[in-house]
Amino acid sequence: MIPASPFLCVITDEALCPVTLAQEALKGGAAMIQLRHKSASGSQLFSWAVAIGKYCQQSEAIFIVNDRLDIAMASGADGVHLGQEDMPAITARKIVGKNYLIGVSAASIHEALEAEKDGADYVGFGHIYPTSSKEKRNSPVGIDTLQQVSAMLTIPILAIGGINSQNAGIIISSGASGVAVISAISRTDDPLYATRKLVDAITTYT
Amino acid sequence: MERNKELKSQMPRICLVSSGDEAGEQSGRLETQLTLLPHHLPCIVQIREKRLSTHELLRLAHRMKLLTLSKKVLLVINERVDIALAAALDGIHLPENGCSPMVLRPLAPTMLFGCSVHSFEASQVAEESGADYLIFGPIFDTPSKRPYGPPQGLEKLRRLCQSTTLPVFALGGVGPENAERCMAEGAYGVAALALFMDTIRFIDTIEQLYHTVTP
Repeated sequence: MIPASPFLCVITDEALCPVTLAQEALKGGAAMIQLRHKSASGSQLFSWAVAIGKYCQQSEAIFIVNDRLDIAMASGADGVHLGQEDMPAITARKIVGKNYLIGVSAASIHEALEAEKDGADYVGFGHIYPTSSKEKRNSPVGIDTLQQVSAMLTIPILAIGGINSQNAGIIISSGASGVAVISAISRTDDPLYATRKLVDAITTYT
Repeated sequence: MERNKELKSQMPRICLVSSGDEAGEQSGRLETQLTLLPHHLPCIVQIREKRLSTHELLRLAHRMKLLTLSKKVLLVINERVDIALAAALDGIHLPENGCSPMVLRPLAPTMLFGCSVHSFEASQVAEESGADYLIFGPIFDTPSKRPYGPPQGLEKLRRLCQSTTLPVFALGGVGPENAERCMAEGAYGVAALALFMDTIRFIDTIEQLYHTVTP
């Protein structure tokens, strides 16, 4: 289900309406949307998830929900993205079975290998560069570590953290299957244009 | 579905709601309460811990599940069907701003679904969405609910109980001294948080309450 060619995943930002952001990102060519909101109520999350899921289906993009497997399943999302403080992938897999996307955040080679062993379908690896979007447990992992982890894993790697249209090419040539971004899209005046520029940078890397 | 019928037919009349403090200084209180709970005493124990991460909630749910094994406890968790499934709990409790039981039921067909309601409209919606029981309150004055306005009172409890076929648990300032008044208005049982926080008196308090609400 994960695209075979390099792709962009846009993660929603709490500062903006997730549905509007997702629509703009899809128009700009994002192939995956992740709904991430830590403070919304269950019914709010569910209605956003249903709306974004519908737009993703129309654009043939993948839709996943961060942390809340309950909301992901209830809304018919394609998958769930799990952080290190969320449900372990191995537990989630028992609930959802084989045909459901499970992504896991990893900030080290060890965490990435564990995620693969636990049955993750992809690893969100980073942060690669310094970034302001999320509270960070570690310092940036850097391009070298991304190259190492790419060589060690068989599942796709989505690189995250401080990636923009200038450095996206090197990320893909370092072995990542795709790029995930938050602020590079959400904190711009024109999310659609920003998405298009990033998608171009990812798909035309040399 | 048989399991759901079984759960409903043996629904306890006391619901112990967790304090929400498991992430802070009161960490471990819920497990202490469950350990102290007398073996003969039927009780719904509701895990409601918004400040814990999903992984911490899951670990708490697993530990709680072990403590219920020899007890007459139905263990439910707020909102998280995924955790209920992972830890094989008995049900889900939904706040008024939670998902509808209608969209969650297919994920856990045999589990109990409870809904917190604060109005007749919400109670009707919950019943139509397939809730198994309701928690209504606050009935009496309680410090934690003062910012939300005056209590609902016994008269409203009576009218709500008459307007629904579902079992209603009265919440908010309810204890052994006034639980009988809630039962007289048609409540099926009572729910409380603060009442159970004093773990020194916990056994006496819950035994007294049990005698008051048992028909």
